[in-house]
Amino acid sequence: MKPLDPRLLRHARAARGYVVLTAALGFATAALVVAQAVVLASVLAPAIQGTADLADLGPRVGLLAGVVAARTGTSWAQERFALRAATRTVAELREQVVTHAVALGPRWLASGRGPEVATLATRGLDALEPYMVRYLPQLLLAATVTPATLAVVLGLDWVSAVIIAVTIPLVPLFMILVGRLTAGTSERRLVVMQRLGAQVLDLLAGLPTLLAFGRARGPERRVRALGEANRRATMGTLRIAFLSGMVLELLTTLSVAVVAVGVGLRLVHGGMGLEPALAVLVLAPEVYLPLRQVGLHFHASTDGIAAAEQAFAVLDEEAPRPGTVPAPALAGSTLALHGVSVRAGERDVLAPADLDLELRLGTSSGRVVALTGPSGAGKTTTAMVLLGLVRPDRGTVTLTAPDAAPLDLADVDPSTFWRQVAWLPQRPVLAPGRLRDVVAGGLDVTDADLDRAARTAGLDAVLATVPGGWDAEVGRGGVGLSVGQRQRVALAAALLGDPARVPLVVLDEPTAHLDARGEQVVLDAVRAFRDQGRTVVVVAHRASLVHAADDVVEVRPGPLDRSGPAVGTAVRPGEVVEVGEADEPGEPGEPGTGTTPPLVPAGATTERSRP
Amino acid sequence: MTRPRPSTDPLRRAVALLDVRWRRVVWAVVLGTLSLGSAVGLAAVAAWLIARASQMPPVLTLSVAVVAVRAFGISRGVFRYLERLASHDVALRGMAALRANLYTALAQGTPGSLVGLRRGDLLARVGADVDAVGDVVVRALVPAGVALAVSVGSVVLVGAFLPAAGVALALCLLLAAVVAPWLSARSARDVEARGAAARAAMTATTLEILEQSGPLAVSGRLDARLDDLRATDRALARVTDDGARPAGVAAGIAALAVGLAVLASLLLGIPAVTAGTLAPVELSVIVLTPLAVFEAANALPAAAVQLHRSRQAAARVVALLDGAADAPPARATTATRGPVPGEAADTAARDDGPRDAGACGARASLTLVDVAAGWPATGRPVVAGVDLDLRPGRAVAVVGPSGVGKTTLLATAAGLVPALGGRVTLDGRDVTALAREDAARGVVLVAEDAHVFDTSVLENLRVARGDVTAEEAEATLRDVGLGAWLAALPDGVGTVLGPDATTVSGGERRRLLVARALLSPAPLLLLDEPAEHLDAAGADALVRHVVAATRTARDQRGVVLATHRLSALEAVDEVLLLGVPDDAPDGAPAHVVARGTHAELLDVPAYRWALDQEAAAVG
Repeated sequence: MKPLDPRLLRHARAARGYVVLTAALGFATAALVVAQAVVLASVLAPAIQGTADLADLGPRVGLLAGVVAARTGTSWAQERFALRAATRTVAELREQVVTHAVALGPRWLASGRGPEVATLATRGLDALEPYMVRYLPQLLLAATVTPATLAVVLGLDWVSAVIIAVTIPLVPLFMILVGRLTAGTSERRLVVMQRLGAQVLDLLAGLPTLLAFGRARGPERRVRALGEANRRATMGTLRIAFLSGMVLELLTTLSVAVVAVGVGLRLVHGGMGLEPALAVLVLAPEVYLPLRQVGLHFHASTDGIAAAEQAFAVLDEEAPRPGTVPAPALAGSTLALHGVSVRAGERDVLAPADLDLELRLGTSSGRVVALTGPSGAGKTTTAMVLLGLVRPDRGTVTLTAPDAAPLDLADVDPSTFWRQVAWLPQRPVLAPGRLRDVVAGGLDVTDADLDRAARTAGLDAVLATVPGGWDAEVGRGGVGLSVGQRQRVALAAALLGDPARVPLVVLDEPTAHLDARGEQVVLDAVRAFRDQGRTVVVVAHRASLVHAADDVVEVRPGPLDRSGPAVGTAVRPGEVVEVGEADEPGEPGEPGTGTTPPLVPAGATTERSRP
Repeated sequence: MTRPRPSTDPLRRAVALLDVRWRRVVWAVVLGTLSLGSAVGLAAVAAWLIARASQMPPVLTLSVAVVAVRAFGISRGVFRYLERLASHDVALRGMAALRANLYTALAQGTPGSLVGLRRGDLLARVGADVDAVGDVVVRALVPAGVALAVSVGSVVLVGAFLPAAGVALALCLLLAAVVAPWLSARSARDVEARGAAARAAMTATTLEILEQSGPLAVSGRLDARLDDLRATDRALARVTDDGARPAGVAAGIAALAVGLAVLASLLLGIPAVTAGTLAPVELSVIVLTPLAVFEAANALPAAAVQLHRSRQAAARVVALLDGAADAPPARATTATRGPVPGEAADTAARDDGPRDAGACGARASLTLVDVAAGWPATGRPVVAGVDLDLRPGRAVAVVGPSGVGKTTLLATAAGLVPALGGRVTLDGRDVTALAREDAARGVVLVAEDAHVFDTSVLENLRVARGDVTAEEAEATLRDVGLGAWLAALPDGVGTVLGPDATTVSGGERRRLLVARALLSPAPLLLLDEPAEHLDAAGADALVRHVVAATRTARDQRGVVLATHRLSALEAVDEVLLLGVPDDAPDGAPAHVVARGTHAELLDVPAYRWALDQEAAAVG
């Protein structure tokens, strides 16, 4: 773990400028610290020795005032621009992480990294702010002020300089030593702490469920016990973690004291003058100050560095290279899956397994293909494979234009392919805007066309209830539409698309949120798509849709052949098991002896209700 | 738990829930003062030592100062270590107490306040808020106390030598310890208040892009959304930049105050030395001591910002508590008493013993008379005029289009939400007047969004009943169609499911919740959409199984199923069809438009039509 990761500078432009500014301010601060000490000593020494009065010292006091003004200015500038740079750096990294996560694809996002990336992008990266605003400037001051002041002390009094020069390396040395000794313990305890904390939160989040079962009062004692265990675990960590802080304070303060005493004794014996002695006394703490501040903000730095490393970990993942060959006109082409298998998440299951499917697109008569199969068979995954959003672990997806060689879908420029596809996912998201514009999707359509599409998609019933009708603002900040209503909007929009230019429609589980009457709307729309001459692929749960289909393809899951070729790069094996194993038996305050403590103590309800 | 005194400041109320022992806080402040006092002492004595040494006195006259300087050099680090341990201990105790007090308050409060939409999110955020409230001790109260004590001590010390210099130091300290923190806090407040909208937009856009990356990419809108993200981040940067202005001024003031204090001491001290009212050695002390004093004051801007953050967090915590606290008065009295109406009391006493619900639950009955149901937050009924009678051995289905109010009706019937009209009685007693445990012993609701805990499968099932054995759990899981799923789990029912069951598919989750319901000892079960996310055959099989399982001679139970799928309903005794009549005005609540057995309802056109749509392809 580096205190200043070069990758941060590479990825965030704002961070680069900021580091330059902070370094410049660091040099200025070093010069001002030295100037302040030297000028102050030159005012104070003659005043103490009674060789000058205020009138004689006036110009020097004026100079000191100038130095104070300049230090005020550097402090202001540092703070003023640190916040701005931090916010911009966070924004730059956020944008890159989000963009890259999207490029990694929906399957990567669904592999458990999705929520992690969401937390990192929305909140986690904020940890960079204290790192950049507090820690980084001190780090640069340690690199400027500390050597500059030490050099000046050397010029004034070499004995003090030697004392300081000897103690300075001890500071990081002892901190590393203490850190080494405690690292294992702290990390183990940190895991325990996080787990204890997460369990309390899990109980709180599940409170409505516990209330429904009348079991909410049982875990009260467990919440207290977990809290107490958490405190003890944390205090154990802190007792060790704060040791390094103490070593730092002890070394720095003690060596200032040793310098002061040494200077004092040499003064008594006439070994040095008062003015250099005072300057050394003022400078000695300044040598250590940046080091102490670095130690003080060390935790801010670890959080910030950890957040940055998480971001770099995402950015370093290799995204599948999008294809570059422009897609042929889909109308008349064939989209085919051959022996396609996709590993399902972290399970030892292929869903779908060894699937063959051939779609002839844009035939004049239109075609409805229903994907059926038990839940978890991989119907939605199959739809994603067809769309080129998921690349199969085994098998091929080819796109063949008439009189042309088959193209691997992975080699096709996705944007040129997607332009010819309409996809209605389980939970459609609408572009923000007026309902009319959302449905028309930039096409020049007449009101009659709009109304006809609305009738087919059942949108007319929604229009009647939405204030403003066609002119209602939907999407973010607009009228809140239910999933079912959004689905109708999306259906109507897809119906208006040019069937020749968009010959493939993929509908995913369109009946999951609809009642029987809403289902009819979907059926009507599917038939309308077919009548337009489009090929419709429907992920079907209900018999009505299967019945309406021309072809029914059953998607089947299959066991993962472990001896077979390597499959599933996005798999992170054993995550579920790991959590269980991290459970140290006999953890303080955990009732129960098994590896999984009971949520609700078994006896809790009984005890209470005994008359 | 201690009831907080009503106060307008949420932070005060939340801090009261920390159960802070103030003696521990004072002890932390004392240790902190000794630590920073050592630093000030070191500076003052060293200044005296050097000035005095320059007068070349006998070495022995300096020995006390020499020892003092060394002692201060050691004591500072030691006291600082002790102070940090003491203050963190207070804070951690406080956080644990607040979490527990919060849990207790919410567990005893009105369930309706928690059973609403999105409450789960709210509760999930509580963790960070509790930490922020607890941090107020370590990061605001103790530093403020230390700064005050050290400042007063230093002013007295300097004032003792030269009163005017003491006054000047006090003024400079006010600048650094009051004005600078005030500006910092204002900056943080402004950024937060004005940035809230931009931050919310940023979060929403980020989540939308990540969750909908596929649809956005396919529809070609991804780049537009990424542009939106950049725009909200730019707005956020603008707000932060504005807020950085007072923060920059505060940092400047902090630096200025130290310099001013030194300058003032020189300007006041040098003439005093010339005039003979101040000893030259004392001039050294009053000029050099301030350099060490401001360390305490410089910690205060951060403390002020923390105070603001803690107050924001406290406001959210208190709002949650207030939501739970407006319990109907009846609850407070029943919550403390033990016995339960009718036979349910027997069930309760043997709650965790071997279950024999068939015998003891047989007389449990839930009666709804002219009930109007709606979420308490709106106060507007979405369903009205519902009559229902549920006894063990009877199965009732509530059907109707999505959003008609089935979930609300079930929550009301379970006593989790008070009825807005009519009466819900369990064995003749008003169900909301019963203590939660007592009501749940009679009737249990399995909500659509019921929580799956981050623990083993078995412990998740034991939420229903504490003594479920592994064998019982496995048998029930197989019964609800999770046999294959169970077999694939690495540790069987001992497998940990992970946070919010992200490793479980939608269909598996529903089946797991149904298994949990079936394992509950309650004689009456209310299941909300038990077969959602399942394919047609799976859904119908599950519904039939639930009905069959509640009718075995050994285990007679009453069950209400809310569903929008009708095909399997010939298995139930009665079906209630909810709907809003076509001629009803806008916003009118739904009513029971038809009721009867599945066979009887086939004559009702709307029911028949809906069923035909489902059945069309099956035949």
